[in-house]
Amino acid sequence: MAANNVPTTSEEALVIERVFDAPRELVWRAWTEPEHFMRWWGPKGFTTPFCKIDLRVGGVYLNCMRSPEGQDYWSTGVYREIVAPEKIVCTDSFADEKGNIVPASHYGMSGDWPLEMLVTVTFEEYEGKTKMTLKHVGLPAGENRDMAGAGWNESFDKLADYLAKA
Amino acid sequence: MSPDRLNSTFAALADPTRRAILARLTSGEASVTEIAQPFEMSLPAVSKHLKVLERAGLIARGREAQWRPCRLEAGPLKEADEWLERYRRHWEESFDRLDDYLRELREKEKKYGRKTPRKEDKNGRK
Repeated sequence: MAANNVPTTSEEALVIERVFDAPRELVWRAWTEPEHFMRWWGPKGFTTPFCKIDLRVGGVYLNCMRSPEGQDYWSTGVYREIVAPEKIVCTDSFADEKGNIVPASHYGMSGDWPLEMLVTVTFEEYEGKTKMTLKHVGLPAGENRDMAGAGWNESFDKLADYLAKA
Repeated sequence: MSPDRLNSTFAALADPTRRAILARLTSGEASVTEIAQPFEMSLPAVSKHLKVLERAGLIARGREAQWRPCRLEAGPLKEADEWLERYRRHWEESFDRLDDYLRELREKEKKYGRKTPRKEDKNGRK
């Protein structure tokens, strides 16, 4: 997962859009039912041996992702908004196996992660398929948290041009 | 980069005025007065935003002239971007798997001529 040094644009980095050839109901369940979620979550070669989902506003999830080398990464978060089968908003943090939030350094990563992030996923019906949009942003400590989700990336496009030259 | 540094980068970027200021500076350095122009905001208010950006290392201010021109510093933005890149990979690869998994579910659905199984997936046979 080493980051390369080529700056990417905000669309690639923060917002991901995918069209799945499946009804929205099914994609929703793949996201919200542990037995489905465990089958796909995590990068190539990873498995998800544990997943608990309490799907309600204020409810908590706890996942464990296992690397091909056998290293476990736990993550947790709280659901902020749920509109079945259209939208999920939740926080996202590294955790220990008991669900306590830990800094990324807990997993030996250079501590360059915000403690808490915000994930927003929306699902739209699209010509019999499902268009899914994922937004993942860092929640800055001490700022109004709802604002962080508003997306600071619109001016990132222009900045990306600048960075390409820098 | 320390977590504090990344946090201050994100905190600085979380404000629309500060994002607009950064966007303005992508077209070259500018004085406080020039930066303040498009905003209905006092110079001290703009200066406050500039201080936040400066503290986050997102801009630098010249010492040479009295008008102390502001310019963009690419370093922290690049680092924030690399951080985002890691997440992009995590999700892209997960979604490749989700794509395969959904296909598998739909094939099963066709084969058994029924709605997608809810329970039989539980024991994770492959």
